Amino acid sequence: MHRRIVGLVVASACLCAAQLEAQDFKLFDRDVALHGFASQGFVYTNTNNWLTMNSSQGSAAFTEFGFNVSTSVTDKLRVGAQLYDRNLGQLGQYHPSLDWAVADYRFKSWFGVRGGKVKTTLGLYTDTQDLDFLRVFALLPQSIYPTDLRDATIAHLGGDVYGNLPLPRRLGDLSYTAYAGHRTDSIYSGYPYYLSSFGAQIKSYGGLQYGGDLRWNTRLKGLLIGASRMNEDMTGKGLAINPFSQGAGLVPYSEASKADWTNQFYGEYTAGRLRIDSEYRRYWRNQELFNGLSESFADVRGWYVSGAYRICKRFQVGSYYSRYTITNVVTGAFSALYPPATDTSLPANHDYDKVITGRVDLNRFWNAKIEGHFMNGYGSGPYPNGFYTQVNPQGFAPNTNALVVKTGVNF
Amino acid sequence: MKRSRALLVAAALMIFGAANSLAGEIKVVANPSVKTDMISPGELKRVFLEENLSLDGAHVEPVLAKDGPVQEAFLQQYLGLSEDDLQTYYRALVFTGRGSMPKALGSDAEVVAYVARTRGAIGYVSGAASAEGVKTLAVGVPSRNAERKLLIRVEPDYPETLKRLGIGGTVRLGVSISAKGNVERVELLGGNPILGESAAVAVKKWVYSAGRSRTIIGVSILFDAR
Repeated sequence: MHRRIVGLVVASACLCAAQLEAQDFKLFDRDVALHGFASQGFVYTNTNNWLTMNSSQGSAAFTEFGFNVSTSVTDKLRVGAQLYDRNLGQLGQYHPSLDWAVADYRFKSWFGVRGGKVKTTLGLYTDTQDLDFLRVFALLPQSIYPTDLRDATIAHLGGDVYGNLPLPRRLGDLSYTAYAGHRTDSIYSGYPYYLSSFGAQIKSYGGLQYGGDLRWNTRLKGLLIGASRMNEDMTGKGLAINPFSQGAGLVPYSEASKADWTNQFYGEYTAGRLRIDSEYRRYWRNQELFNGLSESFADVRGWYVSGAYRICKRFQVGSYYSRYTITNVVTGAFSALYPPATDTSLPANHDYDKVITGRVDLNRFWNAKIEGHFMNGYGSGPYPNGFYTQVNPQGFAPNTNALVVKTGVNF
Repeated sequence: MKRSRALLVAAALMIFGAANSLAGEIKVVANPSVKTDMISPGELKRVFLEENLSLDGAHVEPVLAKDGPVQEAFLQQYLGLSEDDLQTYYRALVFTGRGSMPKALGSDAEVVAYVARTRGAIGYVSGAASAEGVKTLAVGVPSRNAERKLLIRVEPDYPETLKRLGIGGTVRLGVSISAKGNVERVELLGGNPILGESAAVAVKKWVYSAGRSRTIIGVSILFDAR
């Protein structure tokens, strides 16, 4: 009942917001801006259930929305905050979160600081991955931006330094961001959900996250290239079924990073109505399980090439090819339970996704998308890629085709 | 009789001068609190992309025009973006807490009125729009004096009627100089339009030393009525 009411509210918001403009009002003689967005999707898959939804039956459990307020306190100081909520299959479940809450002071164009809960800069789209209305695609390439694992990269409680430096000899300009803070995953997010497939009940998951991003707007008009790096020191705690004696009840569970880093390289080219971008990400994770009883080594690699073209003001088309592979080796006490998974040609260790999309802008604030995914593999290793055993108890089929229909509004 | 005829001629010249100064497709206009008279294309881009919201140490605020040919030409010429790309850019700033959506106004008159009353505001209007209450900024790369030396200077005529009426003052011009050193284009940035017209006629005959590329400089000329 609760979900139906929320769904109805979001659907109403979709219709009403089509008429909305951003709202500005005065508070203590300051202009305060209020913006928001909402989207509703429907997913149908022909075989496996995807993204924790019951998608093989057709699922509309694909709702998200957010609202923000912001104002300039002085010429150089901005403050603002955004509330975000979603329901994606078994994830989110309408538990709202503070998406970002930032005080941003820009001393000069080449140096500014922002602190609070800050969106993490990692590659082209990490910080904007929820903002469906900014792009043609209903779902970003899941090899790099797995929507079920958004909490892993979306924001940190800490601070950034950032700036923009014009380069001499008309070589373009460089933008940099360096950050450090604490990442906290919701217990309703993808990774705790994945661990629950082993009987683990995660009570907390998070830790230190720090890194940087450097992007070069080159001399060639429309061409941007960049690189990002992120290091993490994560700890997860909770309870789990004793793996050596499943009838013995729950025992304390913990996992902790020994090495955890991400490298990402990217390029984007826009020329008139055409936009092409491509990214490569490697995520390496070495962690201790059960207080050092065991150790796992996961190597996740993903890349995509994407193109989008605006045919006319209201209609865009796009396509991408996204490739995800994972290898995992477990040593120590659990090595017998989890045999090495190193052959990326197996469907269990990869997901190759071919995508086509069409987007219609019904007006400036309201869009609708239709998207086809043609996936080979289900890459359900220790850093999952949309396919979970809990919603596929019968096992996985090697191929999955998906139809995604989505509509969204923003103001 | 003689005096009223002089006033009539002055008025006619004013109208002609004003109309002539409107040449050009887009005018970048700023609130008089903005200290600079000239802005480079790079600075203009950084202001409108909210990467740099100060000029000469003073805060500035970009102001947009709504859809239309002026908007389209400005975005294409100075930002290299389409209207849709720009909206996407601003929305990404707004929804990640990194910036705000600039004010967007429906007509040249609204842009000029808003810029005139808002400290630090910078906008753009068609070349034919009135710039009353705002200053027009020359857009170009400032030249270092050593780089473009003035070789031939022609003094402007001081219109007899204005001199007799005691009308004088300083006019400010934006001067575009070709790589060879010829003056290609003169734009009146401020001052009496009739005096500006006279100054522009003279400045078009000026010759500078050759440079590596086209440059734009600001020139001020005093018409002393005493």
